[in-house]
Amino acid sequence: MRELTIGMAGAGGDGVVSAGESLITAAALEGYHAILTKSFGPQIRGGESSFRLRISTAPVYTPAGMLDVAIALNWDDFLRFGAELPVGGQTILIYDAQHAAGPGVSQLAGMTPGEIVGAPIAALAREIAGHDGAKNTVVLGLLAEWFGFIPDPLLAGLRKRFAKKSQEVLERNERAFDAGRRYAEQHPIASARRLAPARLPGESARPTLLADGNEMCAAAAIAAGCTFFGGYPITPSTEIMHFLGREMWKHGGVVLQAEDEIAGAGAAVGASFAGKKAMTATSGPGMSLKTEMLGLASIAELPLVCVNVQRGGPSTGMPTKSEQSDLFQAVFSAHGDVVRPVLAPTGVADMFATTVEAFNIAEQYQTPVILLSDGEIGLRKEVVDRIDPAAFTIADRRRPSPRELESYARYAFTESGISPISEPGMAGGNYLAAGIEHNEHGAPSSGGANHARMNEKRIRKLDPLTRWRGAATVVGDPDAPIGLIAWGSVAGIARDALQRADALGVHAKLLVPILLYPVAQPAYDDFFASIRAGLIVEQSSQGQLYRLLRMFVTIPSGVTSFARSGANPFTPAEIAERLAGLAQQLQRSRVPELQVAVD
Amino acid sequence: MQAKDYKSELKPIWCPGCGDYGVVQAIYRAFANIGRAPHEIAFVSGIGCSSRIPGYTTTYGFNTVHGRALPIAQGIKLSRPDLLVLAAGGDGDGFSIGGGHVPHAIRRNPDITYIVMDNHIYGLTKGQLSPTSPRGLATASSVYGSLEDPVNPLLYVLAYGARFVAQGTPADMPGLASIIEEAIRFPGFAFVNVQSPCVTYGQPEAQLKQHKAEMRALTSCGHDSSNRLAAMELAQDYGKVLYTGVFYRDPDPGPTFEQAVAERHVAQRASADQRTRVLDLFAVA
Repeated sequence: MRELTIGMAGAGGDGVVSAGESLITAAALEGYHAILTKSFGPQIRGGESSFRLRISTAPVYTPAGMLDVAIALNWDDFLRFGAELPVGGQTILIYDAQHAAGPGVSQLAGMTPGEIVGAPIAALAREIAGHDGAKNTVVLGLLAEWFGFIPDPLLAGLRKRFAKKSQEVLERNERAFDAGRRYAEQHPIASARRLAPARLPGESARPTLLADGNEMCAAAAIAAGCTFFGGYPITPSTEIMHFLGREMWKHGGVVLQAEDEIAGAGAAVGASFAGKKAMTATSGPGMSLKTEMLGLASIAELPLVCVNVQRGGPSTGMPTKSEQSDLFQAVFSAHGDVVRPVLAPTGVADMFATTVEAFNIAEQYQTPVILLSDGEIGLRKEVVDRIDPAAFTIADRRRPSPRELESYARYAFTESGISPISEPGMAGGNYLAAGIEHNEHGAPSSGGANHARMNEKRIRKLDPLTRWRGAATVVGDPDAPIGLIAWGSVAGIARDALQRADALGVHAKLLVPILLYPVAQPAYDDFFASIRAGLIVEQSSQGQLYRLLRMFVTIPSGVTSFARSGANPFTPAEIAERLAGLAQQLQRSRVPELQVAVD
Repeated sequence: MQAKDYKSELKPIWCPGCGDYGVVQAIYRAFANIGRAPHEIAFVSGIGCSSRIPGYTTTYGFNTVHGRALPIAQGIKLSRPDLLVLAAGGDGDGFSIGGGHVPHAIRRNPDITYIVMDNHIYGLTKGQLSPTSPRGLATASSVYGSLEDPVNPLLYVLAYGARFVAQGTPADMPGLASIIEEAIRFPGFAFVNVQSPCVTYGQPEAQLKQHKAEMRALTSCGHDSSNRLAAMELAQDYGKVLYTGVFYRDPDPGPTFEQAVAERHVAQRASADQRTRVLDLFAVA
């Protein structure tokens, strides 16, 4: 088989996540495409944890969908993940035989699994290692044997992972791995599947990167020239600060863990005023606190990138679960008449380009930019093709020329609305930046005419963005009558759904907005031109993108919202089924004149 | 450089007789004595009457939002240690809405001078209680008198570990100028509380006239400004005795935040890679 989706759950301390990491590292070494997502309960230690890994010989965009292989180290923890680890009629469910199968299987939400296999996982671990600690490694051995899951890179990965530990720990794990393999060899399963090789014999694996979304975002910030980060720990965005705290200094930058979210954003605003590219990052409630600074950056016309790795809300909500429910906040949580660009990556692969673009837009347009990631993207690991940072255009703010400094006005009215920006140290560029409304020279002004003109300038300067070619990507037949729109981490699921729909004979296309705001109306108009029915799919209870688009775009009446709260993932299959349903409806309602056009 | 080189063309919005006129004069004079060019100075403020002050200078100014002058000033200083960075605001800025930022600026010790124009009232919003308003004060927001004790800014910052703490009044403008100059020259975070009375909403019995009569120079009290505990002893009289001068000056000021950052850069640059190679960290080998 060409791909395999594996899900595993256990108690914290079972090493579930590190097993997932071992698997994806091995997959990357071998040249497979793969995505790993991790999901946790809210506990600091202990509690449930899980991963799902999709590994394939072809590019993958989501780890979502039914599991081919499910591993339950214990039933309680496995069942807590519900639809996050969906078991279907084709799933091979492996459980630790120390727990009886019946009670667990009877509580599964979906269908009965295709095959249920009890394996003495804990018993083997105890026999080899004297305690349960090697259960995860036993599982790796089972998977290697039953599914042809590349034992050599797995072993290499284990050796790398335990390199810093004692020789004894490493040997114990090697023995546990072997014990798992031997057990699997002696106990073949009925529906054993072998993963097809990722490459031809003798062919070397293509060069890849393995990273999660938060790390990739942070690395992209460095590549874009960011030298200042101010932030405050909050789940699930903190890893951005972790990465920068290790790497930023090497590039002459500064990372400030501030006393609060406001100060983190404030220090970044200060750094930007001082002429540096600056970033702050947060999640949910932290974003609420930062909006004061975003208002300041908007009126003072200072570049700033503010990352929001969305989680389930409102308030503390579900910090460890992903959601797309901060779109309204990103777009509308401004005091005053403000337009702030909002960009959304769809995965680790495009996180680099999207983050660089966020910096470019911030610098070029002298504006705060919100990079709206989500917990799924932030924490998931992907094997992605090598990216060459040198191939990206890095934009810088437009600074005044020596001649312009001779009679300088910081907020001069220009045709584009963008005024050259000076910074401390530039003689002649001295000005007052202010949260207070100001005239062209930065002097406070409370005149209505000036305020209207300044508002118009600050809003108009962003107009070109709505015509930006990169504002959205479209996949599928451009003339298709059925359309899907999805953003962020749901875009990958929609892309998968599109392929499935195609296999069902449904002609559909998908629009993925990268620029969520200002709304790129021309891109939607183009997309909707051929559309008679469709879905806007998103992980928010209200369908925030659908509602936002209704403000700015004429949506065909056959296009409806398909939205649900976080931690209730969409599956590609259910979206594809809905698309097929729409296709049938169109078929039935088809009028003769249209028949020609559609066929 | 002369004091007038730092004076901008903007006309202050302050009421006639406002203490802040004396503060800005003192700042011009301190700048002139130090001699840094206006374009090498970043002057950051919060919101309130006093926070208009950067606009009345020819430096790079940033009139930010209420209470946030210090985080923004730190962002500037950390990314541009070459600049002279001054932060200013009112007592509401520093000890109410922005009160949470003060201890952290102090413990990081960036070379920033922070001037609080303490008038014990919210003047811009037309006369409400401020964090330094005395108990019992009747204001627009406390018609029957305040039920709360005021904060003591001097004692706060001394307890937070501030390495330079001083107080002045525009009633003695030359004295205030030299305090501000000393604060700016101090290598580290320096706090100057300026008793700057509000002529419109302030107490008639605490105006510049009374300051002139009642102020007591700390030098005349035999105070040892290298003794933090002695400084705290005197600081307890905040609101009762108007001491002017330096309460505390750390004889061993230690490294500034930006010096520590520079050392980190030296240590980490050894392993530096080019920005365009940052993705090598993720390479699967």
